[in-house]
Amino acid sequence: MSKIWQIIKYEYRRHVFQKKFIISLLSLPLAVVAMVLVALIIAYFATDSTPVGYVDRSGVVRAESVPQGEGSLFEPVIEFQAYQNTDQAQTALDAGEIQAYFLIPENYPGASLDIELFFFEEPGSGIREQFIKYLRENLDTLETIDPIVRDRLQSGSNITITSLDGSRTMNQDQWFMIFTPFVAGLMFFIVVMTSGGYLLQAVVEEKENRTMEIMVTSVSPSQLMTGKIIGNIAVGLTQLFVWLIFGWIALKIGGFFWPVLQDFSLPTNYVLVLFLVLLPSFVMVAAIMSAIGSTMTETREAQQISSLFSLPIMIPYYLASPIMMNPNSILAIALSFFPLTAPVTILVRMAVTVVPLWQIVLNVLILILFAIAAIWFAGRAFRMGMLRYGKKLSIKEVLGKAVE
Amino acid sequence: MSILEVSNISKRFGKTLAVDDLSFEVRPGEIFGLLGPNGAGKTTSIRMILDIFEPDSGQIHVLDGPMTEEKKNRIGYLPEERGLYQDIPLERCLTYLATLKGMAESTAKSTIAVYLKRFDLYQHRDQKVKELSKGMQQKAQLITTLVHEPELVIIDEPFTSLDPVNTEMVKDLLESKRDEGKAIIMSTHQMNQVEELCDRILLIDHGRRVLYGTLKEIQNHFSSRDVMVTPLENLPETIEGVHEVRKMNGRFRLILKDDAQPNRILKSLINQGVELVEFEIAVPPLNEIFIQVVQKQEEGDQVERTQKEDADE
Repeated sequence: MSKIWQIIKYEYRRHVFQKKFIISLLSLPLAVVAMVLVALIIAYFATDSTPVGYVDRSGVVRAESVPQGEGSLFEPVIEFQAYQNTDQAQTALDAGEIQAYFLIPENYPGASLDIELFFFEEPGSGIREQFIKYLRENLDTLETIDPIVRDRLQSGSNITITSLDGSRTMNQDQWFMIFTPFVAGLMFFIVVMTSGGYLLQAVVEEKENRTMEIMVTSVSPSQLMTGKIIGNIAVGLTQLFVWLIFGWIALKIGGFFWPVLQDFSLPTNYVLVLFLVLLPSFVMVAAIMSAIGSTMTETREAQQISSLFSLPIMIPYYLASPIMMNPNSILAIALSFFPLTAPVTILVRMAVTVVPLWQIVLNVLILILFAIAAIWFAGRAFRMGMLRYGKKLSIKEVLGKAVE
Repeated sequence: MSILEVSNISKRFGKTLAVDDLSFEVRPGEIFGLLGPNGAGKTTSIRMILDIFEPDSGQIHVLDGPMTEEKKNRIGYLPEERGLYQDIPLERCLTYLATLKGMAESTAKSTIAVYLKRFDLYQHRDQKVKELSKGMQQKAQLITTLVHEPELVIIDEPFTSLDPVNTEMVKDLLESKRDEGKAIIMSTHQMNQVEELCDRILLIDHGRRVLYGTLKEIQNHFSSRDVMVTPLENLPETIEGVHEVRKMNGRFRLILKDDAQPNRILKSLINQGVELVEFEIAVPPLNEIFIQVVQKQEEGDQVERTQKEDADE
């Protein structure tokens, strides 16, 4: 046991305390931060807080204007100025006092609902939304309505959909339910590829460094494999953990600017399935990687073969839209039972539909079973690869040995 | 009591019989030479002893019974294929490998420090292994083999890439391990080292045992009836019982007649008033025995093969 622990420690330390690892660890969050910053800067310079004018031919807008509430950095409150006629408004627009003006027709809101917008340079879409809101607040016909009803009208609707069996509900604030499986899947992919890559390297390295004989005369092949697999998975999980912390910090900071981010939460059972699905998949891919490493003699060769395994993991991404449109189609169900595509597929389906419990259980069972089989296979391949290390052995003999 | 008992092991790889019904034993407190030409089956035998390969037939008893995981901690192995983790500092590499032999990390560190100083590697302990010279890596590998105080040490060519100073140091170290009661199996082609170090030897060829016994027994067995003499001045023209005198680098090789005895030759030389600096019974160098035996073996095989071919025809 203590030997396995030593191997875990060695494998973990070898990567985690390296400059290369720390750089790759920080590069993703830093890249995201940089992208967000650039987007924010562009948005900031694209915002124009110059007032907007309007000409009210129908006279529905109350004379005294009601203040519009608070804006944000990127959506400042635009002041709306009334003009008697289009000539005045046009003069103001020509002079650059306003960035655009709306024209409310005489028969508004009875016969016509068409409001025209005049501009030299098209203002952002936020202007239209703000003007509609402004109209809602200031139409004199609304003045007589009960203030409570008026407030409800202002805030609009939030539809909650509940499935027939009542097991799940969905409303438009839960945008992250759609978003999560893809992000989780992508993270899974990156982490699996990272630790799988490390693992591959760790096994091939024993051959490249010719340390195989020293190792097998010190520990058993299964101790060595277990130590290596756990050690390198721990490296991947460290990466994942650090990224999750960054994500959490980003949500908290983002929440100050976009209140919608504060609503972020996932149902407990979804998180549970997330772990149940991702952990065995993780072990499975890691074991496959080490099995490949055991049969190859060069890191480069092994990496090329291993990239073949990354393709099936990506399949649910290519098929994302058919899966989401028909989450209970045969294709979707089949993909959620094929080990390499199962993790992402089942998570996507769970986000958009009610997946029967038996399918989830079967999915998790298949993954656990394949994880165990993959470890067994890795141990076998390692033993075979180790034997091949002996110069007198031909591949045929090794295969013969495996068949025995 | 023996530390290693190998009984009738055989191993076949495809059509080649790498080891053929081989038996021997190794006792505590001896350096045992495992000799043989290239491809004789030495490495295969070692790998079977260490449970890297399983023998097709026969039995191996290591440290009183079959090989187990626990026994791996009591064996030190310097493989023919040298290897250390190249990309990490020397000290970390050695400590890691020592902990895999069951040593506690703190003990491993302090023992390794002692060895590093002894092997003149202490100042290189923070360097990456790949930055060290071949000789230094060889010494580091020897540390890995010995640091956990193994009861059975198996070393394959321990002196390659070592300079004479380091060779002497390693020899001293091996001798001190033997004196502590450890058993050392040494496989090498350097016959002079075998002569200096080994108590008993096993010579194998084509996987079979050709010579087995103490170095003395074997050398006596092959000793010719020659005497080496170094006189202070000169030798008399004729010596009784001597067939021929050959001069070699200031020494003389006396080839005796069939019925002559070395004792009598010595007596007659002294009687004739010859002052002697050296008088020794010529022992054939192991190198010669090795070549002689292996060549004889080859010839035997050739004869066997021809006979077989003749029979086939």
